[in-house]
Amino acid sequence: MTKTDDTKLIERCINGDRKAFETLLVQYEKPVFNAAYRMLNSRDDARDVTQTVFLKVFENFDHYDPSRRFFSWIYRITLNESINWLGKSSRLEPLQHEAVDDGKGPEQEVDSANISENVQAALMTIKADYRTVIVLKHFLGCSYIEISEILEIPEKKVKSRLYSARQLLKDALTTTGMH
Amino acid sequence: MAIEQKYTDLINADIDGEISDDDKAALDAFLSENAEGRALHSELSSLCTSLDAVEPAEPPRHLRHVIMSSVNPPSPEPATPGMLQGLLAAPALRYAAIFAAGVFLTLSLVSSDQIFNHAFDDVTGLVGSIADPVNAELVNSVSVDESQVAGTVSLRRSGTMLILDFDLASADPIEIEAGYTNPSIWFNGFAQLESNGTSVSAGTGRVTLGMQGKRRYAVYLHNEGGRQTTVNLQFKADGEIVHEASLDYEPAE
Repeated sequence: MTKTDDTKLIERCINGDRKAFETLLVQYEKPVFNAAYRMLNSRDDARDVTQTVFLKVFENFDHYDPSRRFFSWIYRITLNESINWLGKSSRLEPLQHEAVDDGKGPEQEVDSANISENVQAALMTIKADYRTVIVLKHFLGCSYIEISEILEIPEKKVKSRLYSARQLLKDALTTTGMH
Repeated sequence: MAIEQKYTDLINADIDGEISDDDKAALDAFLSENAEGRALHSELSSLCTSLDAVEPAEPPRHLRHVIMSSVNPPSPEPATPGMLQGLLAAPALRYAAIFAAGVFLTLSLVSSDQIFNHAFDDVTGLVGSIADPVNAELVNSVSVDESQVAGTVSLRRSGTMLILDFDLASADPIEIEAGYTNPSIWFNGFAQLESNGTSVSAGTGRVTLGMQGKRRYAVYLHNEGGRQTTVNLQFKADGEIVHEASLDYEPAE
């Protein structure tokens, strides 16, 4: 969806058009849910955060800055809500993922569920700031400049944070025998 | 020897597809002469392949309905509330009034064979004794997560009363049939948290409900002797069954 399409939909939403809001919901429900899920590692928490995000969007359309792209606004709300949720549910301490020797050699192919599980476990061992850039880059497909816009940090900082996040994630995955 | 940051940035940019032609040429020249750089490039590429291989998670099917239901514009309030609105501001009175409206609606819709079964012998005793389903003991509950309808249906018990507590959302009209084979069970009342939006009709051994949107309502069944029973639920959209579930009640020993 282009910026113009989003802007038109938002104008209709401000005028009380629920159908327009539903179109935005259909478009962004999955990425918002996925971002929250990768940040929180819980489908139930991700569902609650997704609901909160869309309610906040609905209630704050008049605060939306049309010079920004809609996705950068909604993704920023999503990440902030997820981080708040982490704080509320006392999950600020990174979860330690224990290395499990399941008898598989490194050359053995792991199935996609296993990859997903290992990646998610490794993701939960790194700080929320680092997890955020990984989520934006790899699960929401954002470019450096888009991440910079969403997080409101310089592009240079995006690159360095992403590099550090990947190094930490690589180390965490090494302990699982995946890398 | 540590790799210069300039080259780690280029390695990342290359993996992310955000490298210019000139930078790509510079990176290739560097990698051709630096084994450590090649190892880093390979490790990070492998990591990113793993990350990109993760399948996106599917949101719960009912989530969209729940969100749409919760962003309904509020109904306009009357400018100056009248005496009745003032009285109904008290939650207990409001619930009782809604319940009474529900029973009235039920009486107007229920089929005649129920009346001959003396299903309403105890209706007047309902308000105040079971009007608050939260006080009833939860026996069993089922979740529904279909594209047409989603939410939960709980079976609660209060004395000789079984209460089917529906908390559902549907985008389009759906019909729900609650069937019970035990002949000692009678349909005994209906209440809902909205003043309209749900239809109900009852016959021997079954109650049929029609709804659309997000609805919370309760069906009250009189269970003579507190016997064991199973309530079979069928959810229909456009006449087709889209979900089936059962709720069992086992009396305590």
